[in-house]
Amino acid sequence: MLQDILQNIVSGASIGATYGLVGLGVVFLWLTISRINFANISSAMLAAYLFYSFYTQLNLGFFISFVLSVAIIGLYGLGLRIFIYEPIRKRGGGRLEFVVATLMLCTFWLNFIIVTYGALPKPFPPVFGGSNDFISLGGIRIPSLYLNIYLVIAILMVFIYFILNKTLIGKSFRAAAQNREAAALMGIDVKVTTSLSFILATVVVGIAGILLAPIYFVSLELGGGSIGVKGFASAVLGGLTNPYGTILGGISLGLLENFSTLYISSTYRDVISFSVLVAVLILKPSGIFNWKRKKI
Amino acid sequence: MKKTIFVIGAILLIILFPLFVKNSYHLYLMNRALIHAILATGLVFLTGFAGQISLGQAGFYAIGAYSSAYFTVKLGMPIVVGVIAGIVISVIAGFLLSIPSFKLKAFFLSLVTIAFGQIVWMLVINLTPITGGPYGFFGIPFYSFGGEMLSFGQVFWLFGGLLLLSVFIMFRIKHSHFGRAMLAMNDDDVATETCGISTKKLKIAAFGFSAGLAGLAGALYAHLAGFLSPEPFTFFESSNFVAMAVVGGLRHMSGGVVGGIGLTLLPEFLRFGGWENYYLMVTSLIVIVIVIFMPMGLGPILESLFRKVFRVKRNNTKTL
Repeated sequence: MLQDILQNIVSGASIGATYGLVGLGVVFLWLTISRINFANISSAMLAAYLFYSFYTQLNLGFFISFVLSVAIIGLYGLGLRIFIYEPIRKRGGGRLEFVVATLMLCTFWLNFIIVTYGALPKPFPPVFGGSNDFISLGGIRIPSLYLNIYLVIAILMVFIYFILNKTLIGKSFRAAAQNREAAALMGIDVKVTTSLSFILATVVVGIAGILLAPIYFVSLELGGGSIGVKGFASAVLGGLTNPYGTILGGISLGLLENFSTLYISSTYRDVISFSVLVAVLILKPSGIFNWKRKKI
Repeated sequence: MKKTIFVIGAILLIILFPLFVKNSYHLYLMNRALIHAILATGLVFLTGFAGQISLGQAGFYAIGAYSSAYFTVKLGMPIVVGVIAGIVISVIAGFLLSIPSFKLKAFFLSLVTIAFGQIVWMLVINLTPITGGPYGFFGIPFYSFGGEMLSFGQVFWLFGGLLLLSVFIMFRIKHSHFGRAMLAMNDDDVATETCGISTKKLKIAAFGFSAGLAGLAGALYAHLAGFLSPEPFTFFESSNFVAMAVVGGLRHMSGGVVGGIGLTLLPEFLRFGGWENYYLMVTSLIVIVIVIFMPMGLGPILESLFRKVFRVKRNNTKTL
């Protein structure tokens, strides 16, 4: 019994942490431009397919494939700003126009993948450990896939902390997030920080996509399933402004999901997590894991 | 003057279309387009006039479709009762969904509506005794009058009449004190409250009206198709519906009609030989381009064209 619970905590938390990464993509954009990119999850799907191409089809090795696909996703983020965000802003389009444009972008990428790769899921190469690799720890089996997810996310969080707090560009990013006009008056190039937020948002979600691919396969599920909504949910739990709270929100969402599968029913798993999302939005819209408001 | 020309033109179009088009696939497609136009009109009302966003409209669509199917097939009621039941149940769901909108705005509200749409979709899949689940709901009766099945052309007249009726109701609401209060709420919530207008009532009404139209559209679809599966009720359909409203023009009376018909027919025009794989991709790209370069939507552009052709001057007090 206790073993079951511990086992579920391990697997729920690791999947939840990747939901948190998807949520980070939402948070980084919200901080700088107060817009929500509904094609957020497309970056995950694109990164997974790129990694699949580089690793399995071109045999480039893990490290090069990873760096290449993440770099391309970062460039895509920059393109998102140049070709979608800026033109809409210049022509006086509001939030809703951005919402619809990104929603359609999501459909566009799904159909793009169907046309180029086909609709069938592709097996993901076992770069994070095969299905039989695990480490036994006092009776619980921790698959090495989950260990690797924890490792990557830990490195990523340290990296993000370092960028945001120790580098000049990260400090200007935080300043622009707090008050765009004032930051611009202080001589911070707001355009650079906006670009940075687009790049960070897509890169983080891209990495999440590569981490999720062993679980969901390299499939359309990554770009059109409910993972995107769960990313939004974890961002909301973190109050949309707190990156670390977002990861915590994702982890708690993953735990909730696993335990409702264990104790209630697997068919209503998503119904339960979405109901919790609605309840949180209604009762506490500022987020549960948001200990510092409007500050990162 | 302009209004009369517009109304007469619309009625003539609806009457004449089935007399000249005999291809039953084209007629079926136009019927689907009219259904989408009814639904998008509700979204234009909700988003353009009342300023509330809904990305879960497919949820109401599903509720309308499955309630009407359930009432006619399982309870043996006539189609009219089924459609009315679909509308009523959708409106009740719309009232419930309006409660979060008292506190939440923009993105947060859209998240609630997404969650609503997803929950309804999952219930459709999992409540197999009522909905048939992934296997589908079979044997829904087609429209008939006096024991005789209607043709697609006659169904087109029916749908066209319902679409005109819903646009007319929306027009009357917009030019009543109620509609003006809604436009005020769209511009500024708090200022409207300070004028002594209850925005809660307005939000409940707006959600109810758009949910009712979505339920009507769903019920009409159920009897047109004769078969329901969970597929047309996904989140992507909801985003398509919002795209229809935005492409047609959110602040424009004809927005829902133009967007609904336009975006339903657009993929069909793109189905050239050899290009079948690309048409959905190109459709979404065209929508993105329209949204970026014409944020006002196609409705106002068509209106100015119309005005040039018929040399009608702009009437400032009552714009369509």
